[in-house]
Amino acid sequence: MLKKIHHVGVVVQSADEALKFYRDALGLTVTDDRVIEDQGVRGVLLKIGNSEIELLEPTRDDTGVAKFLASRGEGMHHICFESDDVDAELEAARAKGIQLIDEKPRLGLAGMICFLHPKSNHGVLIEYATPLPGGHH
Amino acid sequence: MSIGATHIDHIVIASNDSAATAKLFSVNLGIEIKRVMSRPGTGSHMEFAKLQEVVLEFAGPPQPKEGEEPRARLGGFVLAVDDIDAAVAALRAKGVDVGDAHPAVQPGAKIAGIRAGTHGVPLALIQYNATPVDSQPAGS
Repeated sequence: MLKKIHHVGVVVQSADEALKFYRDALGLTVTDDRVIEDQGVRGVLLKIGNSEIELLEPTRDDTGVAKFLASRGEGMHHICFESDDVDAELEAARAKGIQLIDEKPRLGLAGMICFLHPKSNHGVLIEYATPLPGGHH
Repeated sequence: MSIGATHIDHIVIASNDSAATAKLFSVNLGIEIKRVMSRPGTGSHMEFAKLQEVVLEFAGPPQPKEGEEPRARLGGFVLAVDDIDAAVAALRAKGVDVGDAHPAVQPGAKIAGIRAGTHGVPLALIQYNATPVDSQPAGS
């Protein structure tokens, strides 16, 4: 069962530049800031209530995030829903015939994550996440 | 100085057929659509789901165009603040281009759009219980 909105993902050209607005102007607190090498992104999470805003800066040109930035520019990229059991959510999606990007959950900035293909949701990219025990959120 | 943003109030999912998109999300994700309405003034078809404190707002034209495949996109989000006039003043003091707070569709609420600097995200602030409900014109 999906519990809440874990985060909204925003693709940016430069996380440092975006932080001038999201952290310095809005006053949000950074809870994580990491480069995820295998995904080719720098991800920055900022806490807002029970959710977060995730800034995604591509660190190389051959990733989905980099291609999104090149084709659409900066902007909202995905919504992430939190669940206690990302494996069960993925299996439920598979059983419904929903097209998947990830065939099994993998480690991401928000914990164990998986993405559903936007084609199955009228073009909206959906992520599921189960935070790791002791994670920041 | 913080602007006093407390949470994401709502996320807009803009669709050319918001009823179809809301239904699809309900089936695919198991979320419950709790409210359906036509936006006063424009007649936009809006459906709403809520997960904890965050509302998902599916927004689209009054009627979908015949024969057009449903398409949706993330259309921005709105942050709740405790004092919208203070938040607007604080943002302007930091050089952010933000509009004046004005009555929102939600009774008693005021909303202000951030016009630039959001890195491609349509973004606004909202304060509930900002004005007495009786003082607002219907459909503002």
